[in-house]
Formats: sequence, C-alpha cells, structure tokens
Amino acid sequence: MEKIYRLLSKYGVIIALLGICILLSVLAPNFLTVRNIVIVLRQISINGILAIGVTFVIIAGGIDLSLGSVVALTGVVAATFAHPGDYPLIVPLALAILTGVGVGAVNGFIITRGRVAPFIVTLGMMTMARGLALVLSNGRPVSNLSRSFNFIGGGDLAGVPLPIILFFLVTVIAAVILNYTKTGRYVYAVGGNEHAARASGISVGSVKMFTYLFCSGLAGLAGVMLASRITTGQPNAGVAYELDAIAAVVIGGTSLSGGVGRVTGTVVGALIIGVINNGLDLLNISSYYQQIIKGVIIIGAVLLDRRTQDK
Amino acid sequence: MKTTGKLLLFAALAATTSLSCKQKPGTTAQGENAITIGASMLSLQSEFVVNVKDAMEEAAKSANANLIVNDAERSADKQVQQIESFIAQKVNAIILNPCELEASSPAVERAKAAGIPIINVNSETRAVPDAFVGSRDEESGEMALEQIAKLIHYKGNIVIMEGYMGQAAQLKRIVGAKKVLAKYPDIKVIAQQTAEWDRAKGMTLMENWIQSYGSGINAVFAENDEMGMGALQALEQANMKNKVVVVSIDAIADALQAVKDGRLDATIFQNATEQGRGAVQLALQLAEKKPVTDREQFIPFQLVTKENVDKFLNNR
Repeated sequence: MEKIYRLLSKYGVIIALLGICILLSVLAPNFLTVRNIVIVLRQISINGILAIGVTFVIIAGGIDLSLGSVVALTGVVAATFAHPGDYPLIVPLALAILTGVGVGAVNGFIITRGRVAPFIVTLGMMTMARGLALVLSNGRPVSNLSRSFNFIGGGDLAGVPLPIILFFLVTVIAAVILNYTKTGRYVYAVGGNEHAARASGISVGSVKMFTYLFCSGLAGLAGVMLASRITTGQPNAGVAYELDAIAAVVIGGTSLSGGVGRVTGTVVGALIIGVINNGLDLLNISSYYQQIIKGVIIIGAVLLDRRTQDK
Repeated sequence: MKTTGKLLLFAALAATTSLSCKQKPGTTAQGENAITIGASMLSLQSEFVVNVKDAMEEAAKSANANLIVNDAERSADKQVQQIESFIAQKVNAIILNPCELEASSPAVERAKAAGIPIINVNSETRAVPDAFVGSRDEESGEMALEQIAKLIHYKGNIVIMEGYMGQAAQLKRIVGAKKVLAKYPDIKVIAQQTAEWDRAKGMTLMENWIQSYGSGINAVFAENDEMGMGALQALEQANMKNKVVVVSIDAIADALQAVKDGRLDATIFQNATEQGRGAVQLALQLAEKKPVTDREQFIPFQLVTKENVDKFLNNR
C-alpha cells in the first residue's frame, strides 16, 4: 500500500495526464494520432514557455501577473521591426527579448529595492505593458511580416514544428539551471526560507531579480512566437495568458508559497491543459461546458497531488 | 525611499493632470464658443472602434468642434460614469458607442434627463437615444452565409466560429447566419464554437476541427475577421485552403489584403468612417437645435470579394 502511495506522490500528475489521455482516446478516435500529438505540442509551446519562466518566480516565492501583457508588448515590438526587407531576423527577435528583460528588470527592481509585494508590482505592470503595446501600435494589429519571421511560429525543421523545438530547448535549459547550478539551488533556498537564505549569505535580491529577468525574457520569446504564429503583432493578444501559465505551474505540483517545484511538473501541467483544450474541441463539447470541465480538472489535479503528498 | 516614492507619485499626478487639462472643453484652439461633444467608446483596443473614433475626430476637426473621447474599456459601468462626467462638464452633445444593450441604457437615460442630446453609434441600447447611426449586424451574418452558400453550391458541411458568447455582435450575426441556413437544408453545421474574437484562439480551434473532421469541412464562417484569419492560417498550414471556403466579417486591413491575395474568399465591410462621421454630424445638428430629418441612420454592409476589394483597400 505504502509503495503505491509513494508512486502516486511522485508521479501523481503524470498519472492524471495519462488518465485524461486514455479517456480522450476512447471518446475521440482521432485524438491519439501522431498528427494530433504534434498539434497539441505546438499549441502548448507558448503557454509552456511562459509557465516554465513563471515556475522560477513562483519557486522563489514570487508571482508574475504581467506575462500576458508582456507577450502582447513584445509581439508588437517584434512585429514593428519584422516587415519584409527591413531588418535581419535577429533584430526583431533580440529587441522583443530585450524588451521582455527590461520589463523584468523593472518588476524585479521595484520588488527587491522598493519592497513592494510582487502581486501588486506585476499587477501594475500588467496594465502598463498593455498600455504601452497599444501606444506603440496605435491600437491596431501590426501586420505584413516577413516570411522568415513567420517561420519561427509556423515553420518546421526536419518535420518538427519550430515552436516545439524552442519549447524543448527552453525546458532543457531551465531544468539544467534549476537542478544543476548554484543559481538554481539559491532559487529554492530563497523561496523555502528567505531569512535562512539571507543568513547563509545568499544575495536574496539578486536571486529574485534573476527569476524576474528570466521569466520576462522568456515572455519576450513567447511574444515573438505568438506574433509569428498569427503573423501579426496584436496589442490585445495574450489576455489572461498568465493565468493559464500559473495554472500549468500549480497543476505541475509547484507550491504557490514557494520553495517547492519542478520544471518537468510544469511541462506536464501545460500538457494537461493543452490536451483538455484539444480533446474537448475534438469532441465538439460546448464552450460553456468546456470552461466548467477545465476548472474541475485544474482543482482535481491539484487535490490529487496534495492528497498523495500528505500520505 | 519614501521621498522618492512620493516624488514619483507627484510626477505621475502632474503628468496625468497636464494630460487631462488638454481635454477640458472650451480651452482648446477653437475658442470658448465652440461646440463640445463628449464620446464614450466601447473599447479603443478594437480596431473597428478606433476607425470609428478616427472618423469622428476628423469630422469634429473640420467642423471646428471639440471632441472628448473616453475609452469605456468594455465596461458598461465605466461608460455610465463617463456620461455622468460629461453631463457635469456641460458638454453640448454626447456620442455613445454602447458596451451593452441593457447595462449601458442608464447612460442614455441620464443624458436625456439632463437635456443633453445623445447619439448612439454602431450598436443599440434598450433606452432610445435622440439619434442613432449604425449598421444592422444581422445583415452581415446573412451576407456572409449567402456568399458561402453560393460558393459551395448550396450544399455541404460548414463550421461556425463565434465571438464572445452573449455580446450583441455575436448574437445578431448568428441570427442572420441561421436565417440563411434555414433556407438551404442541404448545408449542415457540423461544429459551432467560440474563439472569443481572437486570432490565436481561432487558429487553435481550426487546427482541432481539421483534426476532427478533416476533408469533411467545406466552409468556415467566422463572426469576425480576426478569427477568420486564424482559421485561414490553420487551413493553409494543413494544405487545405484550396478545398475550404472561408468568409468572415469586418473588413479589417489584414482581411482585405488576404481577399486581394486570393486567400480569404470574402469579408463583409462595415463602414466605420460613415458611422463616425454620421454620429458627429448628428451631434452637431442636435447641439445647435437644428431640425434632424433622419434620426435613425442605417449604413448598409457591403460584401468584399476579389473583384471589388481594391475600392476598399484604397479607402484606407
């Protein structure tokens, strides 16, 4: 019995994911095909990358509510510099990521130096970044983008869509940082017990700063991917993306009170959300019920995780 | 730290007040006697509404009138507050681009009670304003479906992408579409789902539908161009566009270009410029107490296909 509980606690989310997949493949005959799996992976790559970034912030005891707006802002920035024949591809890509990093620096600076709660700072940034996106674009979508730019979100390498490759690379890099570097250990330490971390000589401020820079920088990458996928920079894109990202993190077993969490858990969380979205569309379930089902699964997955961890 | 915070706050306040000073009626270049119109717009994050607003600003400028534009950010509550503040500022006329049928009605009632003429632009409220200029949204759904029916020879399977459920445009466009569908029993709706007016969501939904129904889909009707463009991109990625008809509504710049390039089969043009211009003209006439013959102006939608798209592209 104890063995089963230990297995459940370690692999609870993965078991939930498998259960949902099995159920969906029975109900929808075209769910479990290579094509559909590629579709799901491509659809979750943006949310997955955002979720990985915010995993760092949450493990270090913070939160970032500005992600969706940063996606819109950086998408507009990238699109503005991605018209055909204007600049080489690296320019919009770099500017978008730098804009993201800049937003993260402002967030991190006010949170660490100004000692304002991350919830409030990033809530303020959520509306500021959205406003900036609207100012830069005059409230209109920025379109007519170059083919090479649209390749980032729409193209594929050796049959694998580029967004999936990017998502995979980000996952690997993030997992390495979190599990095998000093910085990663500090992130856990700061989130687990800030006072103890400070007492043992960790520069708590710079660790927190790093998490916001990393998170917003990834949001910049996600902004490029979204603008490229829909071939426009949309100032009103990405609304509530932060909530899907945080949902993925929480489903994946990361504690909102900090100190606990894994990148792989977040990836599985993003997969669960993506699989549900896709599966319910395949089954043509009314969007009213879709919202209810999604909510139930989010809470259910976390409940399962908590119960098994308590045993 | 504390002083820096206060300084920052002060700077922010100073910046906002200096911005708002510019908008005070009667203090602009047009002088003290110019007519001031207050306008509360549904959402300046919507491209169509921004186009209406631009036309309004142009019309006001050429008539030497002051125009104060407020963004209600899709909140009827905020909209009512904005109208109240227009009344307090004693503007000469109010233009309302309603957020909601019911919940924006108090705005109309309050303006009428204060004796300030109020004009609704683009969509309706339950309370009857002094004048209205807009289009019949049902008509756009009808036009789109008639075009789809023609292109698929009056039989086949279609999928419908809806806007935010419960919003006036969604409700009316689907009514128009269903009216046409009732005429052609050989056209079947095999799936109907919201993509919340959003291009990325439209693309995701279409990918999932392609996976579900594959070549069983003959046409897509999207209630706005954003979702239509998303569907179009998903079909193109699956190399299916040549077999599936896509028609959507609004004639935004991207959609017009896509029609010109032969990618999108048709879009439906709603005339933002005439609506905005008409609203300002009505506001000026009512403010100056001139007789108004036509208190309800309906501006027809227009079908945009490859044949006539240039006319619409050049108008921008």
